Amino acid sequence: MNSPIIEMRSIVKNFGDVKAVRGASFDLRQGEIHSLIGENGAGKSTMMKLLYGMYDRDGGDISVGGAQMGRITPKLAIEKGVGMVHQEFMLVPELTVLENIILGFEPRKGMVLDLPKARAMVQRYIDQYDMDVQMNKRVNQISVGEAQRVEIIKILSRGANVLILDEPTAVLTPQEASHLFEILENLRRDGKSIVFISHRLNEVMEISDRVTVMRRGETIGTLSRGEWDYGKLARMMIGREVFLNVDKKASEPGKPVLQVEHLWTSGEKEISKIRDLSMEVRAGEIVGIAGIDGNGQSELIEAITGLRRVEKGRILLDGTDVTNGSPEAVRRAGLAHIPEDRNLRGLNRSMSIEDNMVATKLREFTKGGMMDRSAIRRYAEELVQRYDVRPGNPQMPTSSLSGGNAQKVVVAREVEMGAKLLVASQPTRGVDIGAIESIEAILEEVKAQGVAVLLVSADLREILSLSDRILVMYEGRITGSMPVDEANENTLGILMMGGSLEGKEEAR
Amino acid sequence: MLGRIFTPSLIYATIRSATPILYAALCASITQQANILNIGTEGIMLMGAFFGVAVSYLTGSWLLAVLVAMASGAAMAMIIAVGHIKYQADNCAIGMGVNLFAVAMTKFLLNSVLGKNGTFTDPNLAGIPKLHFGFLSGDGFLNTVLNDWSITEWFVIALVLLISFLFYKTAWGLRLRAVGRMQQAAQTAGINVNSMKYQAILIAGLIGGLAGAHLSLGYSKMFTESMTNGRGFMGVAAMYFGAANPLLTAVGCLVFGLADSVGARLQPFGVPSQVILLMPYVVTVTVLAISLIIDKKRRDARKSSLVSAGVK
Repeated sequence: MNSPIIEMRSIVKNFGDVKAVRGASFDLRQGEIHSLIGENGAGKSTMMKLLYGMYDRDGGDISVGGAQMGRITPKLAIEKGVGMVHQEFMLVPELTVLENIILGFEPRKGMVLDLPKARAMVQRYIDQYDMDVQMNKRVNQISVGEAQRVEIIKILSRGANVLILDEPTAVLTPQEASHLFEILENLRRDGKSIVFISHRLNEVMEISDRVTVMRRGETIGTLSRGEWDYGKLARMMIGREVFLNVDKKASEPGKPVLQVEHLWTSGEKEISKIRDLSMEVRAGEIVGIAGIDGNGQSELIEAITGLRRVEKGRILLDGTDVTNGSPEAVRRAGLAHIPEDRNLRGLNRSMSIEDNMVATKLREFTKGGMMDRSAIRRYAEELVQRYDVRPGNPQMPTSSLSGGNAQKVVVAREVEMGAKLLVASQPTRGVDIGAIESIEAILEEVKAQGVAVLLVSADLREILSLSDRILVMYEGRITGSMPVDEANENTLGILMMGGSLEGKEEAR
Repeated sequence: MLGRIFTPSLIYATIRSATPILYAALCASITQQANILNIGTEGIMLMGAFFGVAVSYLTGSWLLAVLVAMASGAAMAMIIAVGHIKYQADNCAIGMGVNLFAVAMTKFLLNSVLGKNGTFTDPNLAGIPKLHFGFLSGDGFLNTVLNDWSITEWFVIALVLLISFLFYKTAWGLRLRAVGRMQQAAQTAGINVNSMKYQAILIAGLIGGLAGAHLSLGYSKMFTESMTNGRGFMGVAAMYFGAANPLLTAVGCLVFGLADSVGARLQPFGVPSQVILLMPYVVTVTVLAISLIIDKKRRDARKSSLVSAGVK
């Protein structure tokens, strides 16, 4: 077996009081795909950001190509042939694909950019690894999958031998993901070494030569192909047996609570504009919206919740016309809303848990214009208990909570609204598996109480396990609608790509 | 009446009053490309205006005066740079600080170095030379339009083109634009973001100093307390109008210049002088408002579902 090209030993990294990585080790051999898996917050991204020099490590040794490394900066990492594709793409949206690829390493004649030379260089990578990208488009005009290929070309063109991909498939459809895997295979055949960060065990088992499992900042073990199976990896990841199977009761949907009729709204991108969309959610059912991020899901939710102007069409909530109503008016008509970005819209991060918990029902907690502090405290303490928010001190600012506990604060507040419609947008994004279990159970409970639930999630497993009915959105339209028992990852994936189920052959 | 306002000499009058603002606008554009709003343009310019006059009077060399003015502009800009980059101060706060500092400092230096209060002018002051092309003198129109520009008025045209080239054709410009639009992406591409910002602010300071020197030695030949009189801010407004693109920004400045010169010609027709003095500012507010409204309209149209962007 050839010697490791990267070795990381006894790595330590703290963020304030949080020990993100504690004594973890990792090595990478020439020409292998080595997956790094673990739950959210297990420290996998942090490990790789230390290698790439985005953070300074607090302890441990890193060697690249046999040479011990002192302080690493991204620039130095690049010089040593290490490149990273981040979860959030590091591309400037207003610049073209070509400009983004050459940024920082511009071929030039004197001071002037040598664009023909740059174009030829990029074309070589496109041909060699079969990656189609359009060089002259601006990055804000291309799809997520294409942006990812741009990132890969970008790091290859900087001479990377080691490619780190941080959760690359999280934003892709199953079909786009398998295209990515072909590209990774090509790269490996070419002698490149790849670190693949993921928590999706199926893909990891499909493409890896070796897998290293992290949990709570430590490395639990490394397995080679043939030594693993699904259960073994899952146990190593979580430390116990876990079944994310919500106890699903048959639902008996009642009358329509939310009716969206021929809706047109503006969109941040051309493909996220809502054009003539109609749908409904009935009392006591969960309707799940599947789709690749950016196909209009956020715009639809914003239109329903009063956060985006409706250009044409109508929205009825429990029979009341709430089209272009203020967010407050829509809430009065019976809306509860778990927004997709809890830090932007879900919480006021600098305020305490208790203040956040009463934010939507301040009127109930004021006496003569003054806030009734003791009533607020009692209420918050009760909710913190019931929803198991940890640490359970209602006066703590929400900024000090972990993602999962912060989300529980939002969920508690919204569920306690006693609304007729609960809109839950990405309710479990970026939260740990324990919180996922409890949030999903809460949604089931809410539905059982007869509330209409509209769920948007990028996680197909979640959509499939919670929804009664599934709608697929593609380019601002609904391209599929089916009861959950007729859906599976494959059919949803095809619809999410804009394919149709009749013409399967053309949708790869 | 119109015939007496819109004469060939209006063309030069427009360029003459636009040039100081254009220098200021270029100063603001460079930092804006790095996403730093340069409120301090006014103060940088005022400092340059003073040092231009002072050095010209003391040494008799206009060229040396211009160079020292540029250096003084750079020094002021470095206050902004260090405050904003190293100590992460809000650049509006620090820019206003620089502006107030420049007003007080030039007043103090005017008194202590040149021994004057209010205004300083002297026959020995070496102004920036004006160019007279003999071969144009014969043609009445060309003589009126193109002759007797000061060197810095010609130079600003070259500077607009040069900065355009710098922004859009060079590696430095690409990096600068990347830093301004998405700092993290630039950083991961291995660009030293802080160094780029320092460079941008430094160049802006040099140009801002030049703006001042042109104002006190080219546009006029004197120094008056607070003589920039809002031209730095108008430059910032023009930069917004042109979205920090040098060519469009220059168009904005010409609009200001035109308003100013037309206003001056209205005086003989009994328009009150207060109204005329108000003109450039009214135009500033109007132009800014219109450009922001157009910008918003365009943004809304791009996002609207009722309009197709023609993609696909």
